Amino acid sequence: MSGEIFRKVKFFGAWQDEKEEAWLGEMAQEGYHLNGVGFPLVYEFRKGKPQREVYRLDYTSLKKKQDREDYFQLFRDAGWEWVGEMGGWQYFRKEVAEGETAEIYTDNQSKIKKYQRVLGLLVILLPAFIFVFQQREGQTLLTQILEGFMFLIMLLYMYAILRLIKRLQELKEDS
Amino acid sequence: MAKGKEPSDYLPLSESTFYILAALREPMHGYGVMQKTEEVSAGAVTIGPGTLYGAFTTLQKEGLIEMVREEDRRKVYQLTTMGLEVLKEQVERYGLMLRYGREAAGKGNPGGEE
Repeated sequence: MSGEIFRKVKFFGAWQDEKEEAWLGEMAQEGYHLNGVGFPLVYEFRKGKPQREVYRLDYTSLKKKQDREDYFQLFRDAGWEWVGEMGGWQYFRKEVAEGETAEIYTDNQSKIKKYQRVLGLLVILLPAFIFVFQQREGQTLLTQILEGFMFLIMLLYMYAILRLIKRLQELKEDS
Repeated sequence: MAKGKEPSDYLPLSESTFYILAALREPMHGYGVMQKTEEVSAGAVTIGPGTLYGAFTTLQKEGLIEMVREEDRRKVYQLTTMGLEVLKEQVERYGLMLRYGREAAGKGNPGGEE
């Protein structure tokens, strides 16, 4: 499809997927349709007609080719177009009529499982940080800057974990 | 199948799991299950692909459904004997609930008001 392409860098935390979905929907309504995503935090849009589109993010850690094919086939059959992947997050889009919406998760139990998968990944990554902080030999300015940077990222990780736990609790109370 | 599990151990089924199992009385692929559910529930219940993919994985692991063949790159699933037992058990319970619920709901307005 024609239309100019433009890129935008924007940060959304792992707990902000619904906010991100809403933002992508608003962009589409202004005529900017997600064309692809790239690591880190790059969103590529294509200019076109304003349109009502629903965006949904799923998190999957499927590795086997066959599993991934089955997974994407189900989404395609249900009318969802796959737009891209960023760090395990899958971006799906569906065109809907005015006032309508669509969901890829239709009950709380499966939504809970999605956030548990995200949380699982973050928890697995935590020991990596601890490992980095144990290697504190030969301090130079550069390593100190790097360390400070790593420390900020670790804080962000911790924060993400707490927010996800809170989200899970809310979902469990609802069900 | 998980060893030593009784059909009643799987109850109560979630609404979507119930519709998925009921649909898979006949061999069907995922899209068929979504359409069937929407049709028989008169649109009251929809099953999204994320929910369905997870349910297929879990139900297959538990031995309640199995893949019977592949059609146009889509896996076709069907209930296993155990899956059917679980469905029957749930329907039995719904029957009790429905009888009791109808009785309770048919008693007129609370407090005997008009």
